[in-house]
Amino acid sequence: MAAADSPSAALRRRDLCSRGIRLAGKMRSDVIDLLDTYVERQGLDASASVVTVEGVPVAAVERWDEQTGTQRLLENLTAYRAFRVLLAQMLEEHREQLGDADTGLGRALAAVLLQVSAFAYHLEELLRLESRGPPSEEGTAPPPVPHLGLFERKLRGLGVLRELAQWAVRSARDLRQLTKPSPGSSSAPSWAESP
Amino acid sequence: QNLKCVTHNLRKMACTWDVSSRRRHGQSDFCYTTNDLPPPVCFKTKEKRVEIPVPESSTTVTITTNSISGTAIATKQFEIHSADISFVPLTPRILSLTPDFSTSTLNLKWSDNGSAFPYGLDAFWQIQILRKEAKEKVTQVTYYSKMTHEDVILSWNWTSDMPLECTSHYVKIRCYINVTQFVGPKDWSDWSPVKEVPGKDTEPNGSGVFPQDTVVAVGSDVTFCCVHEEGQQIERMSYGSKVYPLIRLSSRSSAIRVLNASASDTSGTNVVCRLSEDEMDGTVLFVGYAPDVPQNLSCETSNFLIIKCTWKPGRPSGLYGKRGTNYSLFERISGKNVSCEVNEMNRERVCGFPVLADQKTYHFILGVSNPIGQTQSSLLVDLTQRVHPKTPEKLTVSGNSSTSVHLHWFINGSFAEIRLLCQIEISSGHSEQKMHNISMPGGKFSTYTAQLNTLHPYTKYQFRVRCSAADHFWRWSDWSRVEEHTTLEA
Repeated sequence: MAAADSPSAALRRRDLCSRGIRLAGKMRSDVIDLLDTYVERQGLDASASVVTVEGVPVAAVERWDEQTGTQRLLENLTAYRAFRVLLAQMLEEHREQLGDADTGLGRALAAVLLQVSAFAYHLEELLRLESRGPPSEEGTAPPPVPHLGLFERKLRGLGVLRELAQWAVRSARDLRQLTKPSPGSSSAPSWAESP
Repeated sequence: QNLKCVTHNLRKMACTWDVSSRRRHGQSDFCYTTNDLPPPVCFKTKEKRVEIPVPESSTTVTITTNSISGTAIATKQFEIHSADISFVPLTPRILSLTPDFSTSTLNLKWSDNGSAFPYGLDAFWQIQILRKEAKEKVTQVTYYSKMTHEDVILSWNWTSDMPLECTSHYVKIRCYINVTQFVGPKDWSDWSPVKEVPGKDTEPNGSGVFPQDTVVAVGSDVTFCCVHEEGQQIERMSYGSKVYPLIRLSSRSSAIRVLNASASDTSGTNVVCRLSEDEMDGTVLFVGYAPDVPQNLSCETSNFLIIKCTWKPGRPSGLYGKRGTNYSLFERISGKNVSCEVNEMNRERVCGFPVLADQKTYHFILGVSNPIGQTQSSLLVDLTQRVHPKTPEKLTVSGNSSTSVHLHWFINGSFAEIRLLCQIEISSGHSEQKMHNISMPGGKFSTYTAQLNTLHPYTKYQFRVRCSAADHFWRWSDWSRVEEHTTLEA
């Protein structure tokens, strides 16, 4: 049974969680706006169905309510680190394909990339409150950019942004879950075992 | 009967004949005279075909058909004149058929077998392009060449109106050689065996929409095709927001034809192939213009270190990023070439070129290219006549007299090769603004001085200065900052 948090750690965690929830909410609305711009600028059909894109972490999870707090944070962190790489690839491709022609979309992409990076850092902060801390990123080389045609890349970008919007929703729910005290205890134990 | 002789190379001819009797027969005795001079040459043959020299004028052929046991059944004599001999060139041999998928071009290479013929003969080559499963004829062209009495490899290119990936393309060729001195009938050779360039619709993992991410000029007609797996159905194919009628190419490939394509958005126009089972494939087409001739090309130097060339781009190409317009500045006298970093969205374009030691005259050629085309603009300049100095800096005014002052200013640049003309503007509250011009030898990153006299005592003045080339005026620099100074009391 892990020792209960000190009041200051619990307070710090609660503060980080609520700020994280706000960050996730803002990120989601920005991603939705970006999605609209992206669909329009890339000449895509908003209803286009995109099969699951390789390398894009899936937000949907089975037995969500059985996950421990640590699992939630770790899965979130893994996802946002992956999105950071994917969005950076999208931004690089945007510059290569369009140069200075569509800076609006480029700026919106860069802004969301910034938020994703900030959110990943935020998750690392939360995990630092745990004894183990966040997993290191060393040695995890980003997946190579698959050789795709331009249309497939457009669809892939659509898939990335759609999944990111789903993750923003899930992250807010995960963080809300972390702020809930576990049943039968006044203070929140560390997340190792609390679902 | 029906003795026929055909030559493929004007030297040897192949003669064939029929035997009317139904009785089984053995070998034949074949005799021929060379230009009707005895003795005849004779030999036995089982075939009803022999190869003998082409006579200069005529030859007499005697054919005796024997029974199985060797007894003569029938003998017939034929008089063959040059006019009776047909000339049919050998079937041409295709050496290679090479596809260039990026340009949808087929390159055909074949040998003209010229060593077999006298020098200078006209040769005509009919080339047929076939397509689709049914090998439908797409086009037939006639290519002309002249024999050189050597075997020459001929080459011919054909650009398809659809990507070569869409379906298999086939080529065959035949020839006609106009042997003027040959009196007999002349005919086309047989068609060569068909040479194939297989389409993606024959490959197991060949699916896709083609052409892939290509660039065309506004107004082009473009054929797109969707290659899919066996058994899959194309529900519809669209270009941008418009659905187009499908053209069936094979069981795994259908096409659409877009006419007179208009300029695409910055991210290109999507071509989407919607397949059964909610699958989708696509490509992107970029439709733009070839670069316009750069207008108002002008080059100047502000410091004799760098020459700055500017121009107006003309009509935008509509192509961006890696498909955008590339600019390079080539200086013909020195042979030096510089590629220019240009922001496609700026109306004015700028490119820097280093001032070269001991070179006063520059012949610039601004090369402009994008995936659709290229153009250029040129300019010949004497650099000393294109000096546009930088803004004078660090203007200071000093003086311990009531009617004169000394001005000092610095100009960033190396003007040792020219004289400078500087203009000093003198303003004071209650008298009219005056201009004082002064010329001086240019210096290398120098400070320049001037003395102004006949000023009013105890008066507050504002001074500023600008400079240009003295001998060949081109443009004034910008004005320096204003510097104030009050003259001493008288």
